[in-house]
Amino acid sequence: MKISYRWLSRHVDLTGLSPQELANDLTLHTAEVEGLHAFAPVLERVVVGHVLERAKHPDADKLSVCRVEVGPAGVAGEALQIVCGAPNVAAGQRVAVALAGTELPGDVKIKKSKIRGVESNGMICSERELGLGDEHNGIWVLPEAATIGRPVLASAPAFGASGIAGALDWVIEIDNKSLTHRPDLWGHRGFAREVHAIRAAALRPLDLELGALAQRARTGQPFDLRVDSPACLRYLALELDGVANGRSPDWLRFLLLAVGQRPIDLLVDLSNFVMLDLGQPNHVFDRRNLPRRSIEVRMARPHERLTTLDGIARDLGPDDLLICSGDAPVALAGVMGGDACKVAPDTSSILLEVASFQPAVVRRTAQRLALRTDASARFEKNLAPTLAGEAVAHFARLLAELQPEVRATSLADAGAWTDPARTLPLRPARVRALLGCEIPDARIEEILTRLGLGVVKRTSGEWDVRIPAIRATKDLTIEQDLVEEIGRIVGYAAIPERPLVAPLTPAPRDERRELVRALQDRLSGTHAFHETLSYSFLPEPLAAQLGVLGDPCVEVVNPVAEGWQRVRRGVATSLLGLLEPNLRHAPVVQLYEVGKGYQPERANAHGEPLELHELALLCAQPRPASGARHDEGALPRAKAIVEDLLRVAGRPVRTWITPHEASAAHGLPATLPPWVHPKRCALACGEQAGVVLASLAELDPRVARALGVASDVAIASLWIDALLTAPRTPVHYEPLPKFPGTRLDVAMSMPAELPAARVEQAIRGAGKELVRRLRLFDLYEGEKAGPGRKSLAYTVELVAEGRTLAEKDTQRFLERLAREAEALGGELRRA
Amino acid sequence: MHEPTQAQPALPELLNDGLARVATARTTDELRALEREFLGKGGVIATLLAAVPSLPAEQRRAAGQGANELKSKLAEALAARERELQEQHLSAELAGASFDPTLPATPPRTGSLHPLTQVTRELEAIFTSMGYAILDGPEVERAYYNFEALNIPADHPAREMHDTFWCDRAGSLVLRTHTSPVQVRAMERLKPPFRAIVPGKVFRQETTDASHEHTFHQMEGLVVGEGITVGHLIGTLKTFLREVFRRDLEVRLRPGYFPFVEPGFELDARCPFCTKGCSVCKQSTWIELCPCGMVHPNVLRAGGIDPERWTGFAFGLGLSRLTMLRYRIDDVRHLLGGDLRFLEQF
Ligand SMILES: [Zn+2]
Repeated sequence: MKISYRWLSRHVDLTGLSPQELANDLTLHTAEVEGLHAFAPVLERVVVGHVLERAKHPDADKLSVCRVEVGPAGVAGEALQIVCGAPNVAAGQRVAVALAGTELPGDVKIKKSKIRGVESNGMICSERELGLGDEHNGIWVLPEAATIGRPVLASAPAFGASGIAGALDWVIEIDNKSLTHRPDLWGHRGFAREVHAIRAAALRPLDLELGALAQRARTGQPFDLRVDSPACLRYLALELDGVANGRSPDWLRFLLLAVGQRPIDLLVDLSNFVMLDLGQPNHVFDRRNLPRRSIEVRMARPHERLTTLDGIARDLGPDDLLICSGDAPVALAGVMGGDACKVAPDTSSILLEVASFQPAVVRRTAQRLALRTDASARFEKNLAPTLAGEAVAHFARLLAELQPEVRATSLADAGAWTDPARTLPLRPARVRALLGCEIPDARIEEILTRLGLGVVKRTSGEWDVRIPAIRATKDLTIEQDLVEEIGRIVGYAAIPERPLVAPLTPAPRDERRELVRALQDRLSGTHAFHETLSYSFLPEPLAAQLGVLGDPCVEVVNPVAEGWQRVRRGVATSLLGLLEPNLRHAPVVQLYEVGKGYQPERANAHGEPLELHELALLCAQPRPASGARHDEGALPRAKAIVEDLLRVAGRPVRTWITPHEASAAHGLPATLPPWVHPKRCALACGEQAGVVLASLAELDPRVARALGVASDVAIASLWIDALLTAPRTPVHYEPLPKFPGTRLDVAMSMPAELPAARVEQAIRGAGKELVRRLRLFDLYEGEKAGPGRKSLAYTVELVAEGRTLAEKDTQRFLERLAREAEALGGELRRA
Repeated sequence: MHEPTQAQPALPELLNDGLARVATARTTDELRALEREFLGKGGVIATLLAAVPSLPAEQRRAAGQGANELKSKLAEALAARERELQEQHLSAELAGASFDPTLPATPPRTGSLHPLTQVTRELEAIFTSMGYAILDGPEVERAYYNFEALNIPADHPAREMHDTFWCDRAGSLVLRTHTSPVQVRAMERLKPPFRAIVPGKVFRQETTDASHEHTFHQMEGLVVGEGITVGHLIGTLKTFLREVFRRDLEVRLRPGYFPFVEPGFELDARCPFCTKGCSVCKQSTWIELCPCGMVHPNVLRAGGIDPERWTGFAFGLGLSRLTMLRYRIDDVRHLLGGDLRFLEQF
């Protein structure tokens, strides 16, 4: 919405209030100001020239070569040669000259040039070239009094009130979103009321009474008006005769131009002016082209068609409201008029439509046709039906002032509308209590009155506040709305800041947040992982690469881009999408994310999908060289990190099981996500067997290929909800040994398929209580281990409690270990 | 018994000779050799002492004493010379040592917390120190909590301001367009008075560019109590800003429209980066920081709270925006882009 300073001053006395101050006032008290700019500042850049001589161009019939004086009179050498194409240029004229280097609206920069071989040192401008109007049949001829050589702007007084001085203006741009709830602010009159309330500036009275006009408009037969749909609340049809359509007066053209509205002709301009003045859209039909002396308002029939003013044939339906004459559609209600009945330059007899429509109906049609107009935007805000009557009176009065000979011949007014004006109770004490500011009753009353609200004080101390129709349809519906009116007019700067006072009680412990923070710190610190945050969408190409296109997921109906409808089920998929792009820049990628995934197949009673809180981590590195240590791959590294994280989480891993075991022993689903390597994966359980706290996998080689990744990749997920519900294993200190123990290395040749955990169990068993530490330092699975065998080498630390370890303790340990190894189908090789 | 095969030099000569050789020794190895020669097994002193028993009885005492004296003097001299040599060695080492701190060293592998996490944690710390609880809510939200409960009924034009991602044709599930749905969820769970913040991810169906994202982060604040006023809202947000920017910033409240607050405001702060206008504040010297307002009575009612007895205020901070301001990030898409070259910088 654009507000013209000059326009506003037609309604309210702006004396002593600069455009900048006005913009600041509106910012602080009314709505969001997006910008303030001078209108027609180009007039500061063009100068007044004096055409000394006009000669024909030697080489072009329609061009003339002029000598134009642009310096103070009598200064020789200040006359420039300018080639001009306008038919009306003549010697002796004062004209607007853009000198070389001047910038004109529309990114035009004037340069010295040669036109058909003749040098031209500038341009003599038309109104259109200066952005002041559409007139381009000739140059703009200035009054004799304009001072030669000075900027055109400086000569403003010479033009009189409605001339060029009328083109100078300031335009305040208001953010439309901040007016969503204010139907009264879609015209200048509404802003004038605001300034009146903020500044106590005098509001000029405006007679909007319909009565006198209705009395006059009785000479003709009124239009037969039928409103057949509740979507039309009120419809007024005023018939006017004896109109001389044509160019609007300059003051009107300049006001419209200032707010970005292109002047067309008097009738269209006036219609626009009334809309931008009062906020009420209206429409002018050329009465000649209305097929009948009747207007019918009804919903469209399926596939009924209407060609709108923009020349586009619209396919309509039962949701669209139509204005018809007889049965023929002539306008799309609240959105745009029809092409067939638009006014023409020779129109002399018109039907003015001013109506009230239901906001939702107008919005639906405008949205469906993608046809948001100034009119539809206003109707959507819920205009009061009373405003329609006022707009009729306003239009008729303005036209009569310009053309006294125009006659109003008939007025019809139909519709089942009611005046939305209402009364709201207000407790002044409540105003003070909610704002936290001492505002005297008298000031409250003054503000309400200036805003056009009526105040009646009851003996109870409660007030009745009369809300006029224009404020009653939307924003002033409860007492608290009135509190806002008072607060914003007083100004929030007047409210003293106060500290919150409350008993000091610690907020309840937030275990989830504490856990997530501990895990984040551990990963970003100790493990040198980078935290990332991803979109919640799983793009289709990635879903295809990961093989999860068929998985159920929450889908958005209106995705931001093709293929972006899937909401992720978990976090891991997001990380896999980051793999290939990051590996292009770095050989090692260590990323994690804590986030949420949604599983619609497990929705609750409210239809909310199951929310999974997950920490997913990904580590990618070059594939280990052959002969590398057994724990140099991404998978064992990730496993060690998961174990450390679960220890930090207070739920250390008790057992690692395969998905197959989990399914067989605990009935967990046996299916694995497609990106999980079917053999190289495991699930971590804590104290409760069968409750999975984390899962771990190498990337499936087929998915790796689809992703274009050749690195060694492991991915793990920690399930935050499972961790939080799992019992915490308390950390108890282990006493330091008081007596020396011994450390020895043992090598064992064991069956290849035997899990390492069984071997460790054997070692611990053989040592009874003596084994304090156990560390695998070598694993060999090559040929030399023998067929079906692997060789494991451990460092074992033996310590006896309460005594020094004896030689025979070690001996017995080794004997027992040899037996245990044999029992497992292996042998103790070396000690 | 060992017999001297030749006449031993007199003790003083031995001493002088020994001391002279110790004094001129240049290395610790030389000292070790001298130690062996004089003090070692079968060395000069041992030989002297071994010869003592064979001496006439009246000479034995003096000879023994002489030999021991020689031994202790030489040992002392050896130790002193050794210290001296060590000193010299250290001085030489120190003199020759150097370090070029500008020479690159292999950096340790380090990790990082996402900048949004860092800013969120900082804000959480400020608010928890003021007694706020931190709450959470679902990203896939019921339209009821996202709209109706917040005084935005169906057909309300404000719904269009939200550019909603709808999750079903029935219009019952959305990707939440703000963190505000947690307001009513919180009211349903907590008994007033309470204060809470809600950091989280929100979604808007809009085209992405350097300053627009369809997914971003917000932090909701909500205070409900008896006698809560606009003055408390101003005081709270000023305190918060003082903590974040570590200085007093001039603020202003101006009217702003959000259906779930009444009165509703926009809070602006003086641009912390300039005094005369810059690109951050679009030359206005004010930056729009946070929409806020007094909780609308309908919202309190939706949360089962009596608006006559309790009042409250709510505010929404743009975490993505604050993060961008803090680190001067000029393209919002970096935040959720997952590019290590970006993440590593924090
Ligand atoms: Zn700035």
